[in-house]
Amino acid sequence: MSKLNKLLTNTRIWIYIIFFVLTMLAINPNPFNKGVAIRTVTLNNSAYLAGMQSPSPSDAPMNRERIIEINGQSVANMDDYETIISGLLDNSSLFIKTEKSKLGLITESKTYTILLSSKDNLGLKVYDAPKSNILLGLDLQGGTRVVLQPETKLAPEDVDILVKNMQERLNIFGLSDTVIRVANDLANNQFIVVEIAGANEEEVKELLSKQGKFVAKIGNESVFVGGKDITYVCRTAQCSGLDPQYGCQQTSDGSYACRFMFSITLTTGASEKQAEVTRGLDVVYEGMGEGYLSQSLDLYLDDSLVDSLRIGSSLRGNPVTDISISGSGAGRSRQEAATATLESMKKLQTVLITGSLPVKLTIIKTDALSPSLGKEFLRNAILIALLSEIAVTAIVILRYKKIKVAMPIITVITSEILLILGISALFKQNIDIAGIAGIVVAIGTGVDDQIVITDELLHHGKKEKDEESYLTYSQRTKKAFFIVMAAFFATVASMIPLLFAGAGLLKGFAITTIIGVTNGVLITRPAFAQMMEILLEDDEE
Amino acid sequence: MSKLNSHGHEKREQHKESSKSGSFLSRLKDFYIKDYKKLFLIIIGLTLLSIVSIIYTYSQVGDFTRRDVSLKGGVSLTITTPYSDINTLESFLIEKFPESSIILRTLSSGSQVKGIIIEASDVQDKELMDAVQEKIGKIDKENYSVEIMGSSLGESFFKEMFIALALAFLFMGLVFHFYFRNFYVTFAALLSAFLDIFITLGVMNFFGIRLSAGGIAAYLMLIGYSVDTSILLSTKLIKEKKDDSDKALFGAMKTGLTMSAAGLAATTISFFLANNIILKQIMLILIVGLLIDILTTWIGNVTLLKVYLEKSNKKNRP
Repeated sequence: MSKLNKLLTNTRIWIYIIFFVLTMLAINPNPFNKGVAIRTVTLNNSAYLAGMQSPSPSDAPMNRERIIEINGQSVANMDDYETIISGLLDNSSLFIKTEKSKLGLITESKTYTILLSSKDNLGLKVYDAPKSNILLGLDLQGGTRVVLQPETKLAPEDVDILVKNMQERLNIFGLSDTVIRVANDLANNQFIVVEIAGANEEEVKELLSKQGKFVAKIGNESVFVGGKDITYVCRTAQCSGLDPQYGCQQTSDGSYACRFMFSITLTTGASEKQAEVTRGLDVVYEGMGEGYLSQSLDLYLDDSLVDSLRIGSSLRGNPVTDISISGSGAGRSRQEAATATLESMKKLQTVLITGSLPVKLTIIKTDALSPSLGKEFLRNAILIALLSEIAVTAIVILRYKKIKVAMPIITVITSEILLILGISALFKQNIDIAGIAGIVVAIGTGVDDQIVITDELLHHGKKEKDEESYLTYSQRTKKAFFIVMAAFFATVASMIPLLFAGAGLLKGFAITTIIGVTNGVLITRPAFAQMMEILLEDDEE
Repeated sequence: MSKLNSHGHEKREQHKESSKSGSFLSRLKDFYIKDYKKLFLIIIGLTLLSIVSIIYTYSQVGDFTRRDVSLKGGVSLTITTPYSDINTLESFLIEKFPESSIILRTLSSGSQVKGIIIEASDVQDKELMDAVQEKIGKIDKENYSVEIMGSSLGESFFKEMFIALALAFLFMGLVFHFYFRNFYVTFAALLSAFLDIFITLGVMNFFGIRLSAGGIAAYLMLIGYSVDTSILLSTKLIKEKKDDSDKALFGAMKTGLTMSAAGLAATTISFFLANNIILKQIMLILIVGLLIDILTTWIGNVTLLKVYLEKSNKKNRP
């Protein structure tokens, strides 16, 4: 049987090949993937009303919906998209054509007609179409990470409530490409890690850490609370925005202050509670016109007073369900004040809808990571991986001086890098900078094992010379695997504590390393040993 | 205990032969075989120097190693900018925030400066960013990263490092013992792994390098690397019970040094090319650690195993 035949009929080599093909399918690389992928469709904005939807965070990158055409102009990348978007006009129509791959084979195409009332109201966040399913960590693609610690340790069911509530807050706020997870450390502290892909969103810090305990009180009596007592919060331009009667005004110190207002609908229970509390209040008349009740409606967010609203006399003892909420914001310029005011309105609306979190949270770490820096790091990481591999190859060639020996080693190292990436893609595991270090280390340990196997196979004397200590190839492989397996268990043992330490911040490193070495001992090393046995056989015969 | 033979007589014969041939390499081999106890002084010396370096660092900063903001708490600002006059910027910032400790570095790729990294403690990120922009002009949101580490998390992260290291040693010891069923051999391997980490830390302290969270991963990895070579050595010297333990030793050494060379090649290339400081630090620790590991394994661990072999030999011979 020729060597090629032997290689192609070997089970272990086939397992390796099949596994390799499967992981390549998981990565699903396509360097020509065109368009811009949809990251977020903001609720109630034009794109949303036309039927566009945010992707689910669990969608593989290559299965995300991509915009490929706007108004007949093709969109190949972010530059094209931005050029087209910057030329949009108010009160115009927009035709967007999208594509979405399913199972990597079928492509589904959709066309949306968007009626754009204002060009700022499109409500789409997009990014360059991904070229593969490899998920990049925040430090490589840009994004925001907030690590929070609950004031008291939460029971599992409370954690669920907390995570759902936070997720909802982020969605309502207009962010969908988010991951919220619970992490622990070795001292059994609990952490909530929130990751928002793609953008530097410092403004969400507050939204996440606020418990969002909203209470409306008259005197000392609580009338309604955020979440359960509120059935509807208006967020359209008709019934929410800057207060038209007050607008923005310059204050005595030269800065500006604005007021916002929006309407909400209370449950009947809450409106009756209000009627009951107001029934006993006096009416106070100030000058002409309608009088006010003697006590005002005080709005508290997390125990601090947000605003105090005067109650019209007609509302006394009257169970109204529609009321209007207001508040204020300030800034150095009119524009800044207006933006800050609308921002705090948005946050207040969000917590009124979602209700309060089951516990107070403290922010203990925030990372706002720049996408352009991430790109730079990624380019650098690819270069490093390539050149480290070349360096290792050089060492292997120098040592063995035989292409026949060096080639399998190099093939296996290259495939191992791809296997780590593929398995990570399959298990939706991010590759971050620490993960890249893990890959470089895996190249190092991977080659270590292969050197052990090669040396065992090469240096065991000639059969005729030393009958007694002569070992067959499979006996030598077995000996080599003793060392390989011990080294494997030792590496995994050293990485396990990292999986659970320090709020999981170094998990990326531990996981890529563990994936790398596990895949090594299960798939690639056995195949490698067989490859070497077959290739070296003739030398001795 | 009768399993372990080192066939001392044969060994001596072989040495005579090799010293006759007289080449530098064979004399070196000879010295290595005969005077390994003298070589062990190198390990003791390095350990003592590391103790001094660590105690000195402790007297300076009140901790056995310097820590960066990721383990101490503070703000780390990374900006993509062509501005490269970091000395001017540094003195400007120090003047502006006299209370806080500020360290500036450039972010470079190869020899090209791509940006600036500013680490500061006891300062608000907004104020710091405003001050930086005052000096070098407006920076787009896209082009900077702000990482803020709460001091409590930084502190606990640092403490966790010890627990993680201790656990890693414990697990490693269990794996080793499961494989070799010999306390002394396990102890020798763990000691050489420990010395590897300890001396590497001493070297890092000597150069005043501040440990970051990523560096912790590197130290853990180092245990793995170090134990890899120890497993190879112990297998060849103890487990396989070769007639000629010196020949087995040199065989293992050839394999082990190739392994270290491959590891060093990958990490050295990565260290010089990386533009990310976390990656750079991980690689630096691995490079120093791999170099030290050559000494701790092929002198330290070897000496301990040889002493063991000799003793068990004497026991077996009247």
